[in-house]
Amino acid sequence: MDAAAEQKYNFAVVRWFTVMAVVYLVVGALVGVYIAAELAWPFLNFDLPYITFGRLRPLHTNAVIFAFGGCALMATSFYSVQRTCGVRLWSDKLAWFAFWGWNLIIVSAVITLPLGITTAKEYAELEWPIDLAIAVVWLVYSFNFIMTLATRKTSHIYVSNWFFLGMMVMITYLHVVNSLAVPVDLFKSYSAFSGVQDAMIQWWYGHNAVGFYLTAGFLGIMYYFVPKQAGRPVYSYRLSVVHFWALMFGYVWLGSHHLQYTALPDWAGSLGAAVSLAMIIPSWGGAVNGMMTLSGAWDKLRTDYILRFMIMSLAFYAMSTFEGPVMSLKTVNALSHYTDWTVGHVHSGALGWVAMVAIGAIYHLMMRTFHTEMWSMKLINAHFWTATIGAVIYIVAMWVSGIMQGLMWRAYDEYGTLAYTFAESVEAMHPYYAMRTVGGAIFLLGALMMLINVLMTVAKASSEGSLQQARTAAATA
Amino acid sequence: MTTSDWVGLIMTVVTFLLMIGVYFYALRPKNRDKLEKNRFIPMDDDAIDSGEKNGG
Repeated sequence: MDAAAEQKYNFAVVRWFTVMAVVYLVVGALVGVYIAAELAWPFLNFDLPYITFGRLRPLHTNAVIFAFGGCALMATSFYSVQRTCGVRLWSDKLAWFAFWGWNLIIVSAVITLPLGITTAKEYAELEWPIDLAIAVVWLVYSFNFIMTLATRKTSHIYVSNWFFLGMMVMITYLHVVNSLAVPVDLFKSYSAFSGVQDAMIQWWYGHNAVGFYLTAGFLGIMYYFVPKQAGRPVYSYRLSVVHFWALMFGYVWLGSHHLQYTALPDWAGSLGAAVSLAMIIPSWGGAVNGMMTLSGAWDKLRTDYILRFMIMSLAFYAMSTFEGPVMSLKTVNALSHYTDWTVGHVHSGALGWVAMVAIGAIYHLMMRTFHTEMWSMKLINAHFWTATIGAVIYIVAMWVSGIMQGLMWRAYDEYGTLAYTFAESVEAMHPYYAMRTVGGAIFLLGALMMLINVLMTVAKASSEGSLQQARTAAATA
Repeated sequence: MTTSDWVGLIMTVVTFLLMIGVYFYALRPKNRDKLEKNRFIPMDDDAIDSGEKNGG
């Protein structure tokens, strides 16, 4: 079976994307831990502009979202579209173009962001030449995926492919519109939008990057890899169809909830919050659909450490898709906005949902595409616990810190004077910033275990000759 | 209301109605077996690769 699949499909590009995803997970988490430490102990700036929080923070977000997340999405989508359609990728050359193009973009981010070359648009900091390159590579990746679907041998397009496709269409639209800018030189441009319109476009993009890239794309991973790893079909296909269309229709409305109590018209923020609340229903429907796939086989969680990652990710998905709508309500937003609670919420989704479901899928891919068992299953178990404990410590620290921040900022005495100075609120945050660094470091430790395990598995496949055997057997089959 | 408002309003309502139509289609008991059989696509892919099962 392995040999037949090895020859029939393009697994080589999947292997490269998979391994690079793990490398970027370590790099992104390492930068994240360092900037978390800088906030707790500012001397770590060492008065070097290149490593200040303001320059390294976008490097961290780009590394984890676009480098790790992008490579994980491209590996999993290229793998699952081939398997569910029964055909090889439409073009091997375009697949390799996407691999090298995406990695060159990541390298350019690593160079430009520490140098302070930035558009200052959150999650879209890269300057216009790199934005153009992103558009080209993304379109090539999407075109190859769509053409693979078009040449499929199966009659039905499986739901995971719908989620990947939704991501590709919407991210193209979002990236192009949000990146519209007037270049003034090679490394500087100004947004085509201004004032509150610029803010609205930014958060229309920003929240939909969460909705269509970090949610729809990773739900595509969930709908293929959870059933595969569990060895059971998804609980309800009809629920997955409803989940998909509700997500496509609903998410585009939410961006305005980032701009409560700003110059944006009040009704727009209220609309964003109302649709955010409505989105709890399909989100929980999807989470339940994934979890109930294990219905009648929960015992698998005792022995299958990879499945643990996937099911835990769905628990975090359910939690963060409830927390987000609650935070979008104006009364809650008045307390939570601009505080660390938002940072905690983002990391609940990023560490708990996005990273864990991708990590589970990557372990699955490693064994399927290198045709061998992982070097150490025990290390996967250790990774699961470090990732879970690290994420929980991080999130709890930010919850406590954020709610305390919000309460301190709005406390006033009987004369209407603010009860605390801003500096006092910063001082109160210190223990939680240290706690956040510890949580992040534990998560990073898990990522390092994964990298070691992945590299040793590659070496094991090489020494066993399992990959070579699969290729040779297939060639002679 | 401006032309832009009307275009936006109509597109939104039409998209919303289409979504309701999809819900009706997906949840209609008559379509249950037709849709649910697709649950097994990922389960069957190994069999399809080894030639034990037809992918169509």
